[in-house]
Amino acid sequence: MLSIENISKAFGGVQALNNVSLAVAPGSVQGILGENGAGKTTLMNILFGLIRPDRGQIRLNGQSVVVRSPRVAQQLGIGMVHQHFKLAPALSVTDNLALAVGRNFVLLHRASFRDRIAALARSLHWAVDPDSVVGQLNVGQQQRVEIIKALLGGGKILILDEPTAVLTPQEVDELIPAVRSLARAGITVIFISHKLSEVNRMCDRIAVLRRGELVFAGPMGELSAEEITHRMLGAPSALSSLGASSASPGLVRLHLSRVCCPLPGTRKYKPLLDNIELSVRAGEIVGIAGVEGNGQTTLIDAILGSLPISSGVITLDGSDLSHLVNFRRARKFACIPEDRQGQGLVLSLSLTANLMLRSYRNPEFMRLGLRHVTAWRSRAAMLVRSFDIRCASVEVPIQFLSGGNQQKALIARELYGNPPVILAINPTRGLDIGATAFVLQQLTAARQRGAAVLLIHSDLDELLAISDRVMVMYAGRLLPTNWPAVDRAAIGRMMMGITPQAA
Amino acid sequence: MNIAGESLGTFLARQTVQAATPLIMAGLGELLAEVTGVINIGIEGLMLMGCIAGYAAAGISGSGGVGLGAAIFAGMGTAAIFAGVTVWAAADQIVAGAAVNILAVGASGLAWFFYQNAREAVHRSVSLGRHVGFQSVAIPGLSRIPFFGPMLFDQYMLFYAAIILAVLIWLLLHHTRTGAILRALGDAPEACQAAGVSVRTWRTGAVLFAGACAGAAGAYLSIMRTHAFASDMTGGQGFVVLSLVIFGRWTIPGLIAGCLLFGGINSLQQILQTTRYTSHSTLMHALQHIPFEFFQMLPYVVALLALATLSRSSPGPRYLGQAWRQ
Ligand SMILES: Nc1ncnc2c1ncn2[C@@H]1O[C@H](COP(=O)(O)OP(=O)(O)OP(=O)(O)O)[C@@H](O)[C@H]1O
Ligand SMILES: [Mg+2]
Repeated sequence: MLSIENISKAFGGVQALNNVSLAVAPGSVQGILGENGAGKTTLMNILFGLIRPDRGQIRLNGQSVVVRSPRVAQQLGIGMVHQHFKLAPALSVTDNLALAVGRNFVLLHRASFRDRIAALARSLHWAVDPDSVVGQLNVGQQQRVEIIKALLGGGKILILDEPTAVLTPQEVDELIPAVRSLARAGITVIFISHKLSEVNRMCDRIAVLRRGELVFAGPMGELSAEEITHRMLGAPSALSSLGASSASPGLVRLHLSRVCCPLPGTRKYKPLLDNIELSVRAGEIVGIAGVEGNGQTTLIDAILGSLPISSGVITLDGSDLSHLVNFRRARKFACIPEDRQGQGLVLSLSLTANLMLRSYRNPEFMRLGLRHVTAWRSRAAMLVRSFDIRCASVEVPIQFLSGGNQQKALIARELYGNPPVILAINPTRGLDIGATAFVLQQLTAARQRGAAVLLIHSDLDELLAISDRVMVMYAGRLLPTNWPAVDRAAIGRMMMGITPQAA
Repeated sequence: MNIAGESLGTFLARQTVQAATPLIMAGLGELLAEVTGVINIGIEGLMLMGCIAGYAAAGISGSGGVGLGAAIFAGMGTAAIFAGVTVWAAADQIVAGAAVNILAVGASGLAWFFYQNAREAVHRSVSLGRHVGFQSVAIPGLSRIPFFGPMLFDQYMLFYAAIILAVLIWLLLHHTRTGAILRALGDAPEACQAAGVSVRTWRTGAVLFAGACAGAAGAYLSIMRTHAFASDMTGGQGFVVLSLVIFGRWTIPGLIAGCLLFGGINSLQQILQTTRYTSHSTLMHALQHIPFEFFQMLPYVVALLALATLSRSSPGPRYLGQAWRQ
């Protein structure tokens, strides 16, 4: 039995957790829900010894424990899979696991590692190759390595912080039974997610945090979906209020014709683009559905020019982009990239600086060639207000914002100022229900203003909710659909590679 | 052609290994430090500190062992300053390394001055007695093997130590948890932190180890291979070590291969320099017209070319040169 008693934690002026108490029974799956910045990750970091609480205590089987460090957490049988993985990409799976368990300065017993990994993987119905290099695994496989790592040292409590945010729907479907079987084996799982449907399928009990306070804890099913959302936000969900637009699209802005990328044989790990035909007109949202890893990232890289194309033309407003230097080319698009920490944000810079990255060269933000501090500050304050970014101060490095608030900052920067062409990949990843609705509204509002929006999204429901036209990407090819004349299931089948004719 | 009673090939092989020994020794330490994410371009300075400390301590105590110990200690001590500045105070590693080089030139010059004065005050010779430094150690039996005997088994003690160390470090890096930690420190320090490993403490350990290795390599120059000290005796070898670590793509076999290659070219140029005046072949006569600085430059040119062509494929540890602030 794990019990959290009266935990409080403040960061500067922000009360991240306020007097939170929660008891979790062994062998159960405890869901934790809450909007961005509600304190979910903070609570888990406290359990795992990464953060010390200001007040309160943790009891394990009735005994009060002080989790001073992750090492201590591990000795207590607490394992955690972080929202952002903590794996060494250059090392093999075995070496990554050895990092977490074992003794120094003695030879590794690789065979015993192999057996333990195999045993765990078998019980979860996974295939994990202990010798593969972690950096070459896809995100879903890396997550499995993380979970095995957390359990390898004999972990009894497993914390999963938004594990499904990085997974494809198929991978989510595989994760859920694995977690259930862990619970059957007596392991306590704490599961954080923004998706009610997942929590529904996975959890025995749920707890809802709101602005650092526990507002509900009880068995799954005691509250209806609407009630849960209401507790989380204090207001009903707005997703349903989004309709497809009636605005008639204008001229073609972005056009891709017969684009192939890259030369066969090079960069094997990325699927090729195969004769892509795509046009996005002013005032429309073109949605691209597809299971991740079918070339969506390559497509964006090709448009932005960070990956050379082997044939075909990409034009913006009729002019060929190929002669533009990468950075000039990238500046023509507003882009919400897939990997916000790697590509979208500079983690060590302040929130203000990150918000200004697109517009710092603007004369109004410069004075004598230097940054205009007050103008920066007022723009940042305005964006923070209108995009509801929760932070202790606009001057803190952005890495200290919660995952969802980092995403909101990125979106604020990219969507502010009526950009004419918007590229967005999974723009609502890691966002809570309210923020998701907000972002989708921002995208539809941009369309209403006449922007051309290319939306690549792994959440099919959200994609269908706001797209005017829907295409499916499969194995590097882009297939048009007759949405909304075809139904969701047909699109789902195309995502699996079953073409309409064959189906 | 024979030199010193040996065939040219055997002589060259032995010289090659002798020239490569300090590079291997210092390279092993630097490789380990770089694997953990710390690049110390002050390796040249650390070697110089080892040279003077080893020479002076051997001269005063009359014992080569004390000299070697002092050299290791001096290398570690100087590396400790570097570690404090870069690992703990998060200063830029390149700038701090450059400072270490400058510091070492000053410190070793000053130490040399005091050493000379102190020796003269007690009316002792400044130079080492021949019995004080190290001599090469022939391993009975093995050293009689033609060619390979003189090359591998009639060397200075530090060469044998370096080879044993190389095997140990290779085992450590690839077959122990410690090695996984070391490699992860340069690849994903946050993974180490999550595993409860103190990034800074471990990096400090690696930097100190590199300091000890560089100090020992310095002692090799002043009290083993030669019995003399000169203020420029490292002659850029510390920088060569840096490039050889990259050349070997942060692998131990690659590093050793690079050291032997460099040592070989260096020995060859020395042989060419000395034999072109004594030989009667027309080729050697032609070579007389080339200034000897050209030959001195050759190994470095080869090192540069090798770096430019070979090192592009491997980017090295991801966090190389980056401080860890948590
Ligand atoms: N190290 C830190 N320094 C300063 N503020 C912090 C730090 N860590 C978290 N916070 C703040 O504490 C609050 C709670 O953050 P937390 O990461 O726990 O949210 P969360 O519920 O996990 O949100 P999300 O769903 O977006 O991941 C946020 O306002 C965040 O900005
Ligand atoms: Mg979080």
